[in-house]
Amino acid sequence: MSEQQSDDIGLTDRLDRLRIEPGNLGVSVLDLTAVGVFVLFLLLLVGVGVLSLNYGMYLLGLVGMYGFMVVGLNIQWGYAGLINFSVIAFWGIGAYAAALLTSPGSPHDILLSPVIALVVAIVVAAIVAVLIGIPTLRLRADYLAIASLGFAEVIRLLFLNEREWTAGSRGISGAPELFGWLPVEPVVRLLSAEASIGTARNTIVILGMLFVGYLLVRRIHRSPWGRVVRTIRGDEDLAKALGKNTYMMKMQAFVIGCVLMAVAGWFYMYAFQYLDPGELEPLQTFYVWVALILGGTGSDRGSIIGAVTIVAILEGTRFLNEIDLVVALFEAIPGITLNVSAVRLLLVGLLIIFVIRFRPQGLLPPKEELIWPGAASDDTQSRERQATREQRGVDE
Amino acid sequence: MSAELSLTYDGADLDKDDVVLRTESLKKSFGGLTATDDVSIAVERGSITGMIGPNGAGKSTLFNLISGFYELDSGSVYVNDTEVSGMKPYEIARSGLMRTFQTPRRLEGMTVREAMLVGPQGQSGESILPLFFGGSKVRTEETANLEDAQRMLERFEIDHLANAPSTELSGGQLKLVEMARAMMAEPDVLLLDEPVAGVNPTLAKKLAGFIEELNEEGQTFLIIEHDMSFIMRIADPIIVLDQGRVLMEDTPETVRSDERVIEAYLGGSP
Repeated sequence: MSEQQSDDIGLTDRLDRLRIEPGNLGVSVLDLTAVGVFVLFLLLLVGVGVLSLNYGMYLLGLVGMYGFMVVGLNIQWGYAGLINFSVIAFWGIGAYAAALLTSPGSPHDILLSPVIALVVAIVVAAIVAVLIGIPTLRLRADYLAIASLGFAEVIRLLFLNEREWTAGSRGISGAPELFGWLPVEPVVRLLSAEASIGTARNTIVILGMLFVGYLLVRRIHRSPWGRVVRTIRGDEDLAKALGKNTYMMKMQAFVIGCVLMAVAGWFYMYAFQYLDPGELEPLQTFYVWVALILGGTGSDRGSIIGAVTIVAILEGTRFLNEIDLVVALFEAIPGITLNVSAVRLLLVGLLIIFVIRFRPQGLLPPKEELIWPGAASDDTQSRERQATREQRGVDE
Repeated sequence: MSAELSLTYDGADLDKDDVVLRTESLKKSFGGLTATDDVSIAVERGSITGMIGPNGAGKSTLFNLISGFYELDSGSVYVNDTEVSGMKPYEIARSGLMRTFQTPRRLEGMTVREAMLVGPQGQSGESILPLFFGGSKVRTEETANLEDAQRMLERFEIDHLANAPSTELSGGQLKLVEMARAMMAEPDVLLLDEPVAGVNPTLAKKLAGFIEELNEEGQTFLIIEHDMSFIMRIADPIIVLDQGRVLMEDTPETVRSDERVIEAYLGGSP
C-alpha cells in the first residue's frame, strides 16, 4: 500500500515539474507528448499501409466526437456523481439540430449555416437538460438515472414517429461543408495528394473544438466550483451544511455535460452525412460510459484516453478477421467455427472486465489535488511537497 | 466560565443575554413516534452549550431540525434573531450556523488542503462566469483561502496532513479536519455532533483544548456528546434532553447531581 503511494507521489511530482507554468493552460508537456505519440502511431499505421490516410483521419474525427461525449459525461458522473443514461438523447438533439436546419435532405427547406445549427443545438440541449433536472436533481441520484433512461427512449421514439418533422426512419442525408472558409485544402494538399479534403476539414474542426472545450473544462474542474461539485459527489449533505447551493451546482454540471454531448451529435451530421433514429439506440450511451470508466472516472485526461480507447475497440475489432494470429487462435478451438468479428462485442466485454479487475481506477485516474492555477506560490507548494515526502518517508 | 471569557470577543456586543441561536417549541414526529416535542432552547453568544441525553432522546433530530435537514412539524428557529425555519440547509448555513456530522464521510479524490477550501463562504469562483471573466479575483481569493487553510491546519496541529488524501485519514483526524473546515466558514455558532465519538482519549483532550481556545476568542458552540467527562469539562450550560423534551438546563455541577438526569440515563427510557 505505502509503496504504491510513494510511487504515485513520485509520478505527481514528475508531472508537476513538466507542467508548463506561464498561463497554466492545464495541459502538460506529458499530455502533448501522449497526443504526439498517438498521432505518430496513426501515421505509422498509415505509412505501412494498415490504415488508409482517409480512414485514419475519420478515426481521429470519431475520437473527437466521442471525446466531447466522454468529457461531458465526466462532468456529470466524474465530478458531480450524476448518473445520466441519456447521453445518446442529447447527442441526438445536436445531430437532429444539424440535420433538420442545415441538411439539403431535411423535410424543412431551411438550409441555415452549421454555426446557427450549433447554437440551436446548444440552446435546446441546455433547455431540455434544465427541464429534466428540475424534478430529478432535488432527489437522490438514482432518480435521475431512471428518468434519463426513460427520456432517451422518448427522444428516440419522438424522432422516429414524428415523420413530418423528422423524416422518421427514412432518415436525413446530406450536409453542407463545415466551416468552408477554413483554408484546409492548400495545407492538406501540401502533405498528401489523395487525402479527402472534407474528412480533413471535419477532423481539424472537431479536434480544434475539442481542444478548446477541454481547456475550458479543465478550468472549471480545478476551480472552486469544481471543488464544491466534487464535494457534492462525495457527500451532498456535507456540501449543504457548508452553505453550498448543491441543487444549483448539480444543475450547472448537468447542463454543461448535456451541451457537450449535443456538440458531439452536431458534428456527427457533417462527418457522416446521414442520420436516422436508429443511431439513438441506448447501446451508444453505454459505450460512452465504458469509455469514461476505462479512461478514469473524474479525470479529464482519462476522458480523452477513454474516447481513444473506445474508438480503437469499436473500430479495431472489425478487423480481427484480417489478423492471421487471431484467426489461428480461434480456429484452434475444437468443435466450434467462429467468425471473429461476430464476437467482437464479447471481446469488448472481456477487455472491460480485465481493466476493471486490474485497474479499477481507470487507465488515467484523476489527480489527487486540483487548485486554481497560480493561487499558491511555487515555493510554498514545493516546500509542502518536500514536507509530505519526509513525512511519508518516516511512515515507511 | 464562558460568560467572562467572552469579554475577549473582538468587536461584537457583549450583552450577556445576546442569544445567537434560539428555538421555539420545535416539534417533529416520524409516523407515530414523537422525536422532538416542544423543544425551546437558547444558545448564548460566546458560550459552549452542551447537549446530553440518553440514546433516542432526540439530540440528533434536534440538530437536523435546527440546520434544516429535517422539516419541522411546528415551531421556529432563529439565528441572530432572524427566523430561519423553513429555509434550506445551505441558506441556514449562510446565515451563520454551521454543523458537523456524527459520521463524516471522507471526500474521495481530495487532499485535506482541498477539502479545507470548501469551507470559506462567498467564494466568487463557485459560480461559473467569474471563472472566465474574473480569473484574477478568483486567484486572489484562492490564495487568501489557501493561507487561511494553512493557518487553520496549523492551529489544529494537522498541517502535516495537508497533502494527504482525505481517504487516508483516521477517524480522529477526520473529526479535526471537519471542525477546522467548519471554522473556515467563520460561523456565528458551530454545532458539533459527537466530536469525540470514537476518538482516542489523548486526541479528545487535545480537541477539548482547541474548542476552549476558540471559545476564548469568542466562538460559540453547541455540542452533542455522550462522553460525560468531556462535555462536563468544557460546556456550561448543559441542556439535558429526554424522550424528545428538555429535561433541564443548568451548570455541569447541578446536572451531574440531578436525580432526574440519573434516572433518565439509568431508568425507564427506552
